Amino acid sequence: MSLAAYLDCAATTPLDPAVAALMSRLLTGADSFGNPSSATHHYGDRAREIVATARAQVAAAVGAADADIVWTSGATEANNLALFGITGYYANQGRHIVTSRTEHRAVLDPCRELGRRGWRVTYLTPGEDGGIDPAQVEAALQPDTVLVSIMHVNNEIGVIQDIGAIAALCARHGGARLHVDAAQSVGKIALDCTALGVDALSLSAHKAYGPKGVGALVVPRARGLQLEARQFGGGQERGLRAGTLATHQLAGMGAAFGIAARDLPADAARIAGLRELLWAGVAAVGGVTRNGAAGRSVPQLLNVSFDGVEGESLMAAVAPRLALSSGSACASASAEPSYVLRALGRSDRLAEASLRFGLGRFTTAADIETAIEVVTAAVRRLRRIGGQ
Amino acid sequence: MNYSPATRAHFDAAAGAGRLDGPGVVRGAAGSAAAGTWVQFDLRIRQDAAGARTVSEARFLAFGCPHTIAAADWLVGVATGIAPAATLPEPVHALQQRLGVPVEKLGRLLTVEDAWLSAMRAALALTVV
Repeated sequence: MSLAAYLDCAATTPLDPAVAALMSRLLTGADSFGNPSSATHHYGDRAREIVATARAQVAAAVGAADADIVWTSGATEANNLALFGITGYYANQGRHIVTSRTEHRAVLDPCRELGRRGWRVTYLTPGEDGGIDPAQVEAALQPDTVLVSIMHVNNEIGVIQDIGAIAALCARHGGARLHVDAAQSVGKIALDCTALGVDALSLSAHKAYGPKGVGALVVPRARGLQLEARQFGGGQERGLRAGTLATHQLAGMGAAFGIAARDLPADAARIAGLRELLWAGVAAVGGVTRNGAAGRSVPQLLNVSFDGVEGESLMAAVAPRLALSSGSACASASAEPSYVLRALGRSDRLAEASLRFGLGRFTTAADIETAIEVVTAAVRRLRRIGGQ
Repeated sequence: MNYSPATRAHFDAAAGAGRLDGPGVVRGAAGSAAAGTWVQFDLRIRQDAAGARTVSEARFLAFGCPHTIAAADWLVGVATGIAPAATLPEPVHALQQRLGVPVEKLGRLLTVEDAWLSAMRAALALTVV
């Protein structure tokens, strides 16, 4: 059986071989299995050294200090820690949150839960290009706003939000802390959370050729943000996230982020070329809509809606040869049209008939040629069956 | 979603997709693309010297999920030679089992049935010269 061409890098990326080799060495090493919290022997020292290296690599990749990194199991946990941690700590200062309708479910679901607990949540609707105008954030801020949570790079359409401008608005407000879900940013776009003025930043390893099951919440200590802890039982990670650290996972994330930062310029240029080749190829079939403004999106994502075809049949037709998704993989199981595309004003039918192409470091020109051929043939065939 | 081999085969081939025209052709349709499922059947009706009518050719068009396309394709595949009647060649639940259609998608098969019955009613009402 030949494997389908993998174009779902927004869902997850393959482990970089160098990362896999490092993790394997650590898993089998004679002295790398220690508990980083053990302070009385070499094994603990060695594990702490590995964790410190990883912490420095992750911090360097996002413009943070080593001590700003709080390890988590992934971006979902980081988002939960940020949203519940910030609102828990500052609940006596206000009960209002600002976010957007196109956030990942790992932000929207905690916001809905906070809404059930009595918080008022303002959900901003992006423009047709997928962008949140900072003026929308400014208009939404209220005297008792304690949290603004806006993602950096959208996971379905790749649109980059103007985090710097939003951070400036939060700073002017004074009481609104800014959380940014940056799960899709590392390796796709330069990221400096200190320069941006972000209070908390969520990261994921497996979106950047690292292992699944590890991520981080960056909490720049210089900004003075306080969080209510969500997990107790050992005091690790500044008391915010208790639990024995998974040394090999953290090392994998650190190595992956180091590679991502190093290779970003070359990766971005090469992948941008492939994406435009892909867009030109699939657009030639006609009746297509590019979702998300090309001028403000990361090169790794292309989201296209196809008129005149039914979404499930489109996916079924391409699936044997292409591994991609029709929206967020986290939402695919729901069989609902993408809420991100609906927020952009797409009809249910058009949102369903959309494909998210996620390109990455290992995507080849041959993969793109296959994608153009398969998608074009499927769309033409389904339109013919549909009487067009 | 995983599809049964039968659904996958009919969806991939869709050999019965198309239109018919000319004498003796009737058409029936149901659903709407805007609502997510639309199916149309064209049947060519032949009448023999004794006055008996049969379907001599069938085609379908469909905007819908793979199960919808597969069901429509299966129906036109078995249509040739059958006499017009206001029923499916087999009950909807048998068709559901044949193609492995999940229960939550039974409504799609009912749209296929409605289109088929519409075409069959047109066939029964057809005046063959």
